[in-house]
Amino acid sequence: MIQANNLHFAFERTPIFNGLDLHIEHGEILSIIGPNGCGKSTLLRLLRGHLRPYTGDICWNNIPLTKMSFRNLARQVAMVPQTTHVDFPFTVHEMVAMGRYPHRQGLLSLAGNGDDKAIQEALALTDVLELAARQVTQLSGGELQRVLLARALAQNTPVLFLDEATSHLDIDHRLELAELLVRLNREQDKTIVQISHDLDLAAAISRRILMLSSHGEIVALGTPQQVMTATNLHRLFRVDLRVETNPYTGTPQITPLVNTAPHKLDHLKIHLFCGGGSGRILLRRLHLAQATLSVGPLNQGDSDHTTALALSIPTIEELPFQPYSAPILNQAREQITKADICVIATNWWGEGNLDCLDLALAVLDLNKVVYLIDPQQKNDFTEGRAWRKIEKLQQQGAICFRNEEHLFEHLQAIQKS
Amino acid sequence: MLKTDQHFFSRRFSQFALLLSLPLAFYISLSSGSFGLSFNELTALLLAGPGETTEQVILWQIRLPRALLAGLVGAALSLAGATFQATLRNPLADPYLLGVSGGAALGAVAALTAGFSATLLVPIAAFCGALGTLLLVYLVARAHNCSPHTLILSGVMIGSLAGALLLFLLWQAPTEAARQAIFWMAGNLSLAHPGALSWSWLWIGSGLILLCLHAPQLDLMTQGEETAANLGIHVGRTRFVLFAIAGGLTAAAVALAGMIGFVGLVIPHICRLLWGPGHRRLLPFAALLGSSFLMIADAIARSVYAPAEIPVGVVTALLGAPFFLYLLQRNRGGM
Repeated sequence: MIQANNLHFAFERTPIFNGLDLHIEHGEILSIIGPNGCGKSTLLRLLRGHLRPYTGDICWNNIPLTKMSFRNLARQVAMVPQTTHVDFPFTVHEMVAMGRYPHRQGLLSLAGNGDDKAIQEALALTDVLELAARQVTQLSGGELQRVLLARALAQNTPVLFLDEATSHLDIDHRLELAELLVRLNREQDKTIVQISHDLDLAAAISRRILMLSSHGEIVALGTPQQVMTATNLHRLFRVDLRVETNPYTGTPQITPLVNTAPHKLDHLKIHLFCGGGSGRILLRRLHLAQATLSVGPLNQGDSDHTTALALSIPTIEELPFQPYSAPILNQAREQITKADICVIATNWWGEGNLDCLDLALAVLDLNKVVYLIDPQQKNDFTEGRAWRKIEKLQQQGAICFRNEEHLFEHLQAIQKS
Repeated sequence: MLKTDQHFFSRRFSQFALLLSLPLAFYISLSSGSFGLSFNELTALLLAGPGETTEQVILWQIRLPRALLAGLVGAALSLAGATFQATLRNPLADPYLLGVSGGAALGAVAALTAGFSATLLVPIAAFCGALGTLLLVYLVARAHNCSPHTLILSGVMIGSLAGALLLFLLWQAPTEAARQAIFWMAGNLSLAHPGALSWSWLWIGSGLILLCLHAPQLDLMTQGEETAANLGIHVGRTRFVLFAIAGGLTAAAVALAGMIGFVGLVIPHICRLLWGPGHRRLLPFAALLGSSFLMIADAIARSVYAPAEIPVGVVTALLGAPFFLYLLQRNRGGM
């Protein structure tokens, strides 16, 4: 049905897609999921022809997208946009009637025979029939979304694109929409591609799920059972989710493991080594948990430096792009002696920050604890010297954690004891 | 807010009133001025046809062409305003927003200071200035992305550039030419060449028909570029066509009567508030209401200080603004 080969696309200089391949089959329901800003909407707009890929090609039924007329394409695919705001006070009926435009003929594009039936049916299916005379500027966000869906249904196309069309809907209308999509798919053989933030619903109705990473790469593409695994979801959203099989539908069901009691680490004094964004999550979460926090050394202009500054966390600063100098390291040493815990989140080791590991070794001698977050040998750019020090740290009692989440659990345990 | 079901009768009534307003405005326009005519005198004169008496000359050679001209200019400005508001998706858009006013004034003043007569060549220069600026704005915006934002910004910029050149021309122009230029810029229906009516009704009439044929496209353009494209519109081509028509109407209005403000901004708004934003209805209604409105405004401008005339732009603003504010107040909650 829709075939995309080797898509490359970027906004300004931020690359979104690097060689994406995707084949959407006739009569399937495909859900696209992924974190904010991963390019879900961009992918939909590329497939719809609103954006041109830098390289690569997109074909609809083996016809290149660039060769199709606007009207012809509008008879192939309808789109429900994310919009929740309209400027002009059309009535709901007028709004839905716009969906008939691609089917109208002649100079005056007058309403044809099938138009009224299609409009009434679309109004009824989306439960907005009694709103028909109301002005769209006066509708709630959810009502407007249903009207926009009705317009897309009135367009009566074999393919339907939905860009987070359920985000403002009540639970009853959300479930109804899901049922409606399944019915349209089953009875009219409509191909449906939707972007969804509702993972359960996506898993329940989709034949396939496309999971995009925050860099626009395909993490997984397949049936909900294949794609919706705890590992994949953790990779995607960096939170722990429990994936179970829904006993009624047999589809995967996702429960976020949320700690309802707010984390509080206000007894802890922590010093953090980080850089280049490796400390972003910890800085934010430790700050929110009210731990006594210090950080550094950090080069000015480093993204972690910016975060620390924004959160007013005491920071030891080095000039931009400089290796850490002796006076700066001394300051850091003093700062660390005030803390009880030293966390090393740095994920890149070079000549510039190698000395931090010596500081950490000295901390261990003072009977304080050192934690490492997921150290990796491949990130050592000092011909093994950094890695040897990390191994030495571990031998002397520093503890490694796989990710920030695990460290956090551990810190909470300490806070309680 | 007006709802179709509840306000059906008031809506029907307002449409009926609109239809009546045109002959009424026409009558007011013909009868008022320094030389007052009663309804009976007017009817008799109209039935008698053109002739040699003073009354007949005043009616047939001065007032009638002028009333028709006011009607045509009012319709052209309202249509252009409605089109720009829809395509730019901006309720504050008016026919002059995209630099047209600056360009037209520049053309006219250049012709005036060069010593051409105010009746024939100045309108042509204004017409060319208006269309030329609009084309320039369009080309500049298209080089970027042609979004409403870009269009408005480049329109304002190129408009102020033309304004600067205009000020320079006025500064170094002879006093008489400068006075004429200012008179022209304030908007005035007495300037047009007597022969102008014969082509302007054709021009503005075809503009109306062309726009009405594009009513469904205009409806879709209000929904934003991507939605319009989703529904099968070739956005770039449609926008160009609509701008060309609206630009042609504005340029004609400016050439005929100088810069008359407010009509193009407020009349489409009033029509939208009263009868909804659907362009199949909005366009003819706006043309009708714009005609009546400008005819009455011109009649007032002629009679308040008769035999002197005040600029009609002053009257349009004084009449239009309070009425618009009243409507806005009554329709709280949305435009």
